[in-house]
Amino acid sequence: MSFFYLAAVALLLILLFWALRAPRKQASGAKNENALLGQAGRRHATYLPLIRQALSAGDLAFVASRGFPELYQRLRKERRGVALSYLTALHEDFSRLLDLATVVAALSPELAPTQEKERVWLKVQFTWRYQLLRVALHAGVFPQHKLDILTHQVSELAVRMETAIRELGERAAVAAKLASSLDGRGVDVV
Amino acid sequence: MISVYGRATMPSKMLDLQTSQQFGWNLSIFLRAFLLCLLIFHRNIRSFPYFAAYLVANLTKAVILHLAYGAWGMDSWPSYFVAWGSEAGLACLRALAVAELCRRLLGHYRGIWSLAWRVLLSCAILIVGYSAIDAASAPQHSLAQGVIAANRAIELAVAVVIVVLFAFLRHYQVASDPAIRSLALGFCAYSCVSVVNFTILDKFINAYLPVWNFLGVFTYLGCLTLWAWALRKAIAVPPFGSPSLFAKAVYQRISPEVNAQLRTLNDQLSQFWRTEEPQP
Repeated sequence: MSFFYLAAVALLLILLFWALRAPRKQASGAKNENALLGQAGRRHATYLPLIRQALSAGDLAFVASRGFPELYQRLRKERRGVALSYLTALHEDFSRLLDLATVVAALSPELAPTQEKERVWLKVQFTWRYQLLRVALHAGVFPQHKLDILTHQVSELAVRMETAIRELGERAAVAAKLASSLDGRGVDVV
Repeated sequence: MISVYGRATMPSKMLDLQTSQQFGWNLSIFLRAFLLCLLIFHRNIRSFPYFAAYLVANLTKAVILHLAYGAWGMDSWPSYFVAWGSEAGLACLRALAVAELCRRLLGHYRGIWSLAWRVLLSCAILIVGYSAIDAASAPQHSLAQGVIAANRAIELAVAVVIVVLFAFLRHYQVASDPAIRSLALGFCAYSCVSVVNFTILDKFINAYLPVWNFLGVFTYLGCLTLWAWALRKAIAVPPFGSPSLFAKAVYQRISPEVNAQLRTLNDQLSQFWRTEEPQP
């Protein structure tokens, strides 16, 4: 069983390295928390209708039918770039939701282990799938028809997420204001 | 430091080792005293009572062992029991010091801490339990191997607890004092090296003993240096307790909704791979 102990230490060192990396941002003060709650409603979906139009499958088919191979290739490449941008936006949405949950958890007197466990698992799953998709898109192994579906789905999803995140953010901000007005000392948890 | 060779003898072995190792050992005693002085000088003893107690006990152990070896000799049973008894006491204080650091880092967040301490304690119990079962199921039993197994279990539990603590800090994006993080990191680094050291020792007791001693001394020296660096300035420790908290109901309402949204995003990603080409 010596292997178990050595493997455990190796795993611990990997985890430690991950945990000690500088986080994107820290839930250190009221300013950050308020800013996060305030931003929860802001989304990149404002320009999505335009982007969707640019990604329509008809345009690509038209170029292909007219026999412009260079333009067709360029268009495909650019569409892939747009899909990657969408994925990044999706990741940002996910991260913002996680940040929102983190602030709420930091300010709450008690946490539900099942909720927290589920969130960790979702984060692991999402990160894995996201990285896999990014690699596939970069490598060009993602089929064109899936790329079309992907961009379509993401644009629809982004609109739905905008509404949901805005609602959650507004409610959390109201709760934070209420908490700070009750004791008059702000929402700084440190 | 401990050594295990037949009837596990203790720091006595250090005295017979090479000059560098002796120098390292003496330097570590000096550093322990220096650390204690730093804690007193910066008035951090109140904030870290268990860490201070651990350092005092560590110094006291060296004195007790010196007296015991002088009175009964290095390979006698009384010396053996004094040595391992003091080591067990020290392990308890170390566990308390680690728990203190965990509370200092997460205790300001009441909700997170209420979850974290349960998780950390469960991890420690699981590790110690597993190690006990592992040691009991070994084909051969000896006192030396029992001692190795016990020490390795404690070190692994300490390492796991600190790594999980850092994972909590990262996951909840908790701002923490770098000095306290360094103290925890020192414990973790020493414990990780000790687990590897004990595991190799378990396999090759006789051949590995000098290397084991050497590594143990110098790892601890590195750990003490890190602590001394962390404690070079006074650590400002705010009192526990957070006045501005959401009502419990806020978390209970928002958290499931956030999870539901996260699940939706996750499902979307998983469906990307499953989509089929539309039939003409």
